[in-house]
Amino acid sequence: MAEVKTAGKKKNKEKLGPARALLAVLLNAILILFSLSCIFPLFWMINSALKKKRDFNSDIIGIVKSPTLENFKNILGNANYHLGQSVWNSARTTILSVFFIVLFGFIVGYILARIKFKLNRAIFAIFLMGMLIPQHSLLVPIYVVFKKFGLSNHWFTLLIPYIAFGLPIAIFLVEGFVRTIPTELEQAAAIDGCGFSKTMFSIIMPICRPIMVTIAIIQSFGCWNEFSFALILIKDQALQTVPLALTQFTGQFNSDYPKIMSAMLVTMAPIVILYFVFSKEIIKGMVAGAVKG
Amino acid sequence: MLQKSMRRKSRVIALYLLIPLVIYIFSVFVPLITAFVDSFFEWKGGPQKTFNGIQNYITLFHDETFWQSFGHNIYLVAICILGQIGIAFIFVLMIDSKLVKLKGMHRTFGFFPSTISAVCVGFIWKMIYDYNRGILNWFLKLTGHSDAVKVWLNEPSKVMLLVSIPLIWQYIGYYMVILLSGVASIDKEIFESAEIDGANAVQRAIYIVLPLIKNTLLICIILCIAGNMKAFDNIYVMTSGGPGTSSMVMALYGYTVSFKQNNMGYGCCISVAIFVLSLIVIGGAQKVFNFLLKDKEVE
Repeated sequence: MAEVKTAGKKKNKEKLGPARALLAVLLNAILILFSLSCIFPLFWMINSALKKKRDFNSDIIGIVKSPTLENFKNILGNANYHLGQSVWNSARTTILSVFFIVLFGFIVGYILARIKFKLNRAIFAIFLMGMLIPQHSLLVPIYVVFKKFGLSNHWFTLLIPYIAFGLPIAIFLVEGFVRTIPTELEQAAAIDGCGFSKTMFSIIMPICRPIMVTIAIIQSFGCWNEFSFALILIKDQALQTVPLALTQFTGQFNSDYPKIMSAMLVTMAPIVILYFVFSKEIIKGMVAGAVKG
Repeated sequence: MLQKSMRRKSRVIALYLLIPLVIYIFSVFVPLITAFVDSFFEWKGGPQKTFNGIQNYITLFHDETFWQSFGHNIYLVAICILGQIGIAFIFVLMIDSKLVKLKGMHRTFGFFPSTISAVCVGFIWKMIYDYNRGILNWFLKLTGHSDAVKVWLNEPSKVMLLVSIPLIWQYIGYYMVILLSGVASIDKEIFESAEIDGANAVQRAIYIVLPLIKNTLLICIILCIAGNMKAFDNIYVMTSGGPGTSSMVMALYGYTVSFKQNNMGYGCCISVAIFVLSLIVIGGAQKVFNFLLKDKEVE
């Protein structure tokens, strides 16, 4: 009976040959169109950034005829635009924030997973709450508090909220991960006379590498792209991060699209290069973070 | 001796916990409490603060712009659940079929927009919508629809839809990849036996794929709700909430009241309201989903 059914099915398939082929073409076409739309802006910006303003205005989409690097030279050469400075600021803020999120996340996550003490669950709950609290409701209040304590508008200002907002998910992921590691390792280390810190850093930390990489990936993109808190906490042009500098810049050159696009390309470059080099690892890390969180 | 080392250990642990806890509480709980206290004051940002009881909350209750912004947030949530996750789900079904090639490319390219900043995405789409030099109007002229050419972001009735499109576009690939990871964990034999039983693609999608990736789907919906309740960056860049308040969202309204009108007391009140409303919406959605999940388990 089953055989007859499959045989019938096969025959059906053969008959549907052209229809199936058409379907295949259609499905592939839709997905390719979508994929291209996702990277089209990148090519449009590269193409346009190489044009002179006049050429762009007369033909917004055509392939560039006489490519020029004038736009890039202009925006990077003029210190008043603070563009190179902003890339440096963003890089410093991102690297330091991610470093401390991973480090603190690991330490706190490990302690909460392994050490029994009275406040353990309370502290865990306090950190978990951070994943529920709507961050954008802190926008105005954080400005008030940071101003009161004189903490706004320094080079380290943004590290504080970025680390704070990154910690909950980091702690949550590490805590869950450490619980899957057998305790025998630590017992053996204790017998060998390993102290608490040494056990934590030289035995457990290497095992936690995969989860720490995941955390670092999620947070790197988050910190590099963060805009709203930078907007309220940073006033000084020399301290602006990339998204902030872009809004300033576009305000100044409202109609000069090639210049704006070259600025966007410069500020996107680190992230874009990183993404296309490590796309597999990055996608894996982002998905793992999203699903577990 | 043992006791001494125990005490030393707990001191070390306390020290390790101290710095992260201080940073965290200072950035999250101190501002929350400050906002709550300041929301009972009339305060224009200067040194002078006057207590005015629940006056700010009464104002808020009657503040049409605030409730309009809240409505816009809900609109974004709804349209993005449909647009982002709905389209992503359809793409997942398409990618999962044997007919489709270049699966790796679709993942890499599709995911790409979600890694660039909302500010960049906002600018890109602002340029697409631009009147003189925008791709949209260029395309309309090219296809002979010159009468449809508009200053797109100046249309109060269309602006919310127009600012949602970049949001949807940016995250389709993101949810697509998450859902794909859910589909990948389904046993392939289930599909084969369903195919043998004569289930067509649509039936397979509704009766097999959908129930099996339900958990992943719910995670996506929660992420989508949380993400859109905090919409700020790309609307700030594209319209600043305008024309008028036609595309205002809660976070942007709180920002505008506090920093453009210097009404810090009321701004804090709005922040408290954002906090409460977002918690209700996100928490409520989670409760509903938990309920739905339990219901299914009993079956």
